[in-house]
Amino acid sequence: MRRALPSVLSVLAAIAVCFVAAGLTRGFDTAAEAFLAMLYGAFGDWPRYLETGNAAAVLRPLGESATKAAILTFTGLSVAVAFRVGLFNIGAQGQLVVGALTAAVLGAQVQLPAVLHLPLCLAGAALAGALWALLPAWLKLRRGVHEVISTIMLNWVAVSLVDNWLVTGPLRASAAGSNSISGTDEILPTAALPRLLPESSRLHLGIVLAALAAVVTWLFLTRFVRGFEWKVIGLSPEAARAAGVGVSRGLFSAMLLAGAFAGLGGAVLILGTEYKYPAALGAPWGFDGIAMALIGQGHPLGVLGTSTFFGGLRAGGTRMQLFGVHRSFPELMQGLALLFIAARLLWDRLLRRVGSAPR
Amino acid sequence: MMLALLSSVLDAAPPLVFAALGATVSERAGVVNVGVEGMMRAGAFAAAVAALALPTPVGVLVGMAAGAAVAAVHGWLSIRARADQVVSGMALNLVMLALGTFLLEAWFNSPSSTPSITQLPLWGGHSPLTWLALALPFVVHLLVARTPWGLRLRAAGEKPQAVAAMGVRVNALRFGAVVLSGALAGLGGAALSCATLDRFEHHMPSGLGFMAVAAMVFGRWTPLGAAGAATFFAFGNALRISLTSSAPQLAELVPRGVLMALPYALTLLVLSVQGGRNVAPAALGQPYDAELR
Repeated sequence: MRRALPSVLSVLAAIAVCFVAAGLTRGFDTAAEAFLAMLYGAFGDWPRYLETGNAAAVLRPLGESATKAAILTFTGLSVAVAFRVGLFNIGAQGQLVVGALTAAVLGAQVQLPAVLHLPLCLAGAALAGALWALLPAWLKLRRGVHEVISTIMLNWVAVSLVDNWLVTGPLRASAAGSNSISGTDEILPTAALPRLLPESSRLHLGIVLAALAAVVTWLFLTRFVRGFEWKVIGLSPEAARAAGVGVSRGLFSAMLLAGAFAGLGGAVLILGTEYKYPAALGAPWGFDGIAMALIGQGHPLGVLGTSTFFGGLRAGGTRMQLFGVHRSFPELMQGLALLFIAARLLWDRLLRRVGSAPR
Repeated sequence: MMLALLSSVLDAAPPLVFAALGATVSERAGVVNVGVEGMMRAGAFAAAVAALALPTPVGVLVGMAAGAAVAAVHGWLSIRARADQVVSGMALNLVMLALGTFLLEAWFNSPSSTPSITQLPLWGGHSPLTWLALALPFVVHLLVARTPWGLRLRAAGEKPQAVAAMGVRVNALRFGAVVLSGALAGLGGAALSCATLDRFEHHMPSGLGFMAVAAMVFGRWTPLGAAGAATFFAFGNALRISLTSSAPQLAELVPRGVLMALPYALTLLVLSVQGGRNVAPAALGQPYDAELR
């Protein structure tokens, strides 16, 4: 719990700064209303539910929050598992893009019963993401190329090829049989992530998968020898090598898992809400994963918690539009929180002053 | 056709050249700068906003100051507060992306762009920033390669302990380099909003900051190399745009997205052939610790 303190304080500070910023530009009364609207939009309009008994007032916002939280959890896990072995996966964005495209293509072009189709799309997306992460891992181990540089390059290779070529060219929706004007063909219903609630809410299986992935990753990292090896590699590759741990194998497999998670994030985006690879992906989900991983302190459950919170704020952010505050405002909070959490030395000092426990 | 292409390269290159030079200055001092994108965005926005009320050249200076201010945060975080330099840079990118959108909405009630400003006047058919972009790489090259300050800067990126042994304050030197880097990135952003266009648009700089980082790597962390690579990439961009309008059949043959991916793919290729270890500054990314010898 102690580890979570810097995160909680950073997030609170970020929210405070943003509140002041909104207050100074739109007036503090409006800002307060806008923030309240955001919270209702994030975690459910409970007062209205209690007043009218209309369950949709709660379920619809929660559904929107969960769809966003699922994607953030996957990209956050992607960055976090790479961190575990000391690699910085800035490439989650590119891995997400290739995963999303793979899911969209498999979902639209393959005909299978739902029990097979959905798993196939998920597996395909995970595999595509992992393959996209293979190259930086290889470059790092064999050619000494820093993974930050190679993953930045691969992000833009993926985005350029997919968004500016494949989706607008060869894979663009065929005019007949599809009502989409831009983007790829729509996926078949058998590939969609099943909805968990009737009509009023878009809550789908994605958040369950994301939570499952977080828990399994946590168990793997803390309860399994291989997971412990990853930790040793991250703390000191030399010590790991001396202890007989396969460092190269660890780095490779961690990076592959990171890519797979990011690819799954893309799949959840497509199979859960978009139903096709759209003309524009909307948010830089892969880069957001960096924030989720760091604010979550690299802990899989921390990532899940952070993603749930910020996924909620983002869903609620659309309601701020009514008050003249851009819906991307929660992204400012997220960025600031990341900035605050980054000042590690200051946190170490503060924590040492507050308590006597060693870090 | 060739002349027109050359002319459009001259106009497209400045933002990328300035930003690539900025990235180079910071990284040669040993501080990773993946925040170029955010610094450019700050520069582009501040320059356009300032130019609404002030003469545009003053706006450009304000843009540089804004880039430098963002860089100062990066410097403070990564040098004083020992933040991971990559994290700090990426965090600033995210903040600037969101802050730009927020301020655009808050001040101009627009999700897309600021009102138009007066563009920089043309000198000899081109923006003065174009001529500056031709000269500045040589200035930065001389500064880095031929002055005592440049020697210290390079040493701070290779072996900071040696610089400290000379009695130079490594952290102050690095901070200065980071701020200069931000001013150059801010200038690149200002070139976008005051020369390439006549306003700030919500998507600016749409990845040019990362392309500048690619140019720096492609140019092997040298000012002339980085500026050369930036010009080469700008040539690619200009070629792509002119192909789409002048030779659509050819453009059909080589899709736009493939051409857009080319700078990054080439950079990756060069890196994988020559390897990364012996090119990047040796102490890049490591906070200076006086107790390590």
